Amino acid sequence: MAQTVDAVSIAYFTVIENDRTGWTGGLLVLNGSGRPLEFQCTLPVRPSKTHEILFGATLRSHLIVEVIGKLLMEKVRTPLSLVCCDQPESLRLDVFCDAPVVLVTEAAESDEGPITDDMLAGYGTVPFAGGTLRAAIERIETVRDLSEKFADVPDVVEPFERIREAIREAQSQIARAA
Amino acid sequence: MNVRNVFDANRSSGLTAELDTENCWSRESLVPADVYSMPIETLEARAISIRVPALTTRASGFLFPEASQWILPKANKEKSVAGRIRPDISCDDSRSTEPDTKLRRRSRIQPPREIVKLQDRLYYLLQPPLDLLVGSGQLTFPFEPFAYQLDGIAFMFPRYACVLADEMGLGKTMQAISTIRLLLCSGEVRSVLMICPKPLVTNWLREFRVWAPEIPVAAIEGNAAKREFQWRSPEVPVRIANYELLMRDRETVLDSGLHFDLVVLDEAQRIKNKNSTTSEIVRAIPRTRSWALTGTPVENSPEDLVGIFEYIAPGYLKSDMPIQQMADASRDHILRRTKDMVLDDMPPKMFRDAELDLTPEQWATYETAEQQGVVNLEKMDQELTIQHVFELVLRLKQICNFDPVTGSSAKLERLVADMEEVTASGYKAIVFSQWVGSIDKMRPALERFGPLEYHGRIPHKKRDGVIDQFKNDPSKSVILMSYGAGSVGLNLQFCQYVFLFDRWWNPAIEDQAINRAHRIGAAGPVTVTRMMATNTIEQRIAEILDQKRQMFDALFSNDPSSIPTPAQGGGLTRDEIFGLFDLRVPSGKKVA
Repeated sequence: MAQTVDAVSIAYFTVIENDRTGWTGGLLVLNGSGRPLEFQCTLPVRPSKTHEILFGATLRSHLIVEVIGKLLMEKVRTPLSLVCCDQPESLRLDVFCDAPVVLVTEAAESDEGPITDDMLAGYGTVPFAGGTLRAAIERIETVRDLSEKFADVPDVVEPFERIREAIREAQSQIARAA
Repeated sequence: MNVRNVFDANRSSGLTAELDTENCWSRESLVPADVYSMPIETLEARAISIRVPALTTRASGFLFPEASQWILPKANKEKSVAGRIRPDISCDDSRSTEPDTKLRRRSRIQPPREIVKLQDRLYYLLQPPLDLLVGSGQLTFPFEPFAYQLDGIAFMFPRYACVLADEMGLGKTMQAISTIRLLLCSGEVRSVLMICPKPLVTNWLREFRVWAPEIPVAAIEGNAAKREFQWRSPEVPVRIANYELLMRDRETVLDSGLHFDLVVLDEAQRIKNKNSTTSEIVRAIPRTRSWALTGTPVENSPEDLVGIFEYIAPGYLKSDMPIQQMADASRDHILRRTKDMVLDDMPPKMFRDAELDLTPEQWATYETAEQQGVVNLEKMDQELTIQHVFELVLRLKQICNFDPVTGSSAKLERLVADMEEVTASGYKAIVFSQWVGSIDKMRPALERFGPLEYHGRIPHKKRDGVIDQFKNDPSKSVILMSYGAGSVGLNLQFCQYVFLFDRWWNPAIEDQAINRAHRIGAAGPVTVTRMMATNTIEQRIAEILDQKRQMFDALFSNDPSSIPTPAQGGGLTRDEIFGLFDLRVPSGKKVA
């Protein structure tokens, strides 16, 4: 499991769902200037019909947190200071890492619609790199301190695009090799 | 009869009745008194186990080297661009326009096709977009770059072999310098050699001071000993040499163990002929990355592009490739943008072909000259050379401008009429001609428009004054220029009319001339009038020029339908020049 250290690094985590390929997760670790240090991605997971029936509404959360998120948190080698995600389910990743896990509101809203306070009870907001982070109340001071260390990060939402682009690249290379 | 009636009847009659217990039945006898058992099969439940496999996956990881930052430390940064950082692109400002940046197209570094290893491709893909770095202040420029310029930097940054072929005036110099700066600052290259024509060395030095002030740059010049020292000086990461000097220092460059991480050729059309000495030397320079900068990657035929590719990627293009195949193969290595493509605020450029009939005097002279000329050429038979044909072409073109006997000129009549309109509207015009002699002849008729002249006979030290006067003196409405002197390096964007009194051999040179007026900052639409005498040699040449332009467009267009047929491609070849007069080339082959 990654350890939080003083050297700042920020991880971006997202999971892409695709009807054809399945669910693929990506974790991008950036330095304080937004340049890449590490990238981890999973092979696509394809739940069966049985999984869909038996897991029901919990399948999405199970895939994002227990299957993909947990694995990537175990695999990442760079110590993390902060983990940003764009899916509310991912907030539960905090059980697998020491760093605060926060939701980037603007990134989440593109899929989830408006994120309001009553949707995330026990979470507060911290302004960050042109956006808003939602962090657990008990970690909010830590996140606020970190946001000052990441003053050079140009855009809080954009790195999710990089992950998606990188996953597409990896999958197209696998497809070409197949 | 029932039992009761029998009994009553018997009682009244004294008869005794008895129940026949054997054959009569009572209500109770309807209910069976015995116990019957019915076997029922037992229901047995069976458990079927449906195995739900745990959802698992595997992960792949890539670690990237933490390269140096894009720029030197902040203290140095402020010093290097003192007073020139744009005040409007500070960190906070970019964030205040957040909704806008979200919608904006990103200038991402895209890995070229030649990079195949996934880790290497991801390294480039996962870099932050350049526009964001500029907006955040991590990447500073003295002037705000255009988005297409950031795209150009993003294109060159990951490439080991590329041609930046933007149309002149779009800032190839700035894009090249900024990319070199990024590569040096991120530690990807340490030694860069820039090769350019001699007159442009000082320009490159100046541009480096503007766009990369923190990068040490030196021009290689002086006597042999000094140059030898400069070639070997390790503390200067960027060295600028000119093509001519390369010939003199050939041994030092090629045979003394020098190696450059990057060699950049400016005006790379200089090596389009792969058999030239310049091309041979340039191709032999030990290097890792090869870039070429040119606004005219193809001047005459696709062979020009093959020549440039022999430098950046030897053997990648072949002379006998069909144009479509060549265009496909080279696409990933060439970035070509025109002003029309990238500058939304550029005013339109309108072409107007003035097809003129020669005056009777001109026509009489022209016919005689052509007939006699052709007869003379045919008489020469095996002695005939391309030079002889050229001489006739030039003579006929001059007659199309002015009748040498009477001075009569259909083009001049048209020009004077058009100039009336131009001046009445308060505009200014540029007139280009191939010959200073023609400019001399047109001047008297244009006197009332205050003509100024800018050509080879005007001393260099007076030229700036001419341009200033043309710009600022309202009585000077027209400037007469030769293609040679006036087609490069001048900013005349306050002019809205351009007249091509005669056509140059090469469309690229014509474009350069037109771009004096049609460039960044142009005041309004630019109207280009191309004068051409119908049914003359000019018309035949114009047709070939149009084919050249089509060929050029085909090579740099993504639209396969624009590819011309093989018969259309090519430039003014030897055969085509002979073909202008339906002559036989000395080998005896008649060309159409």
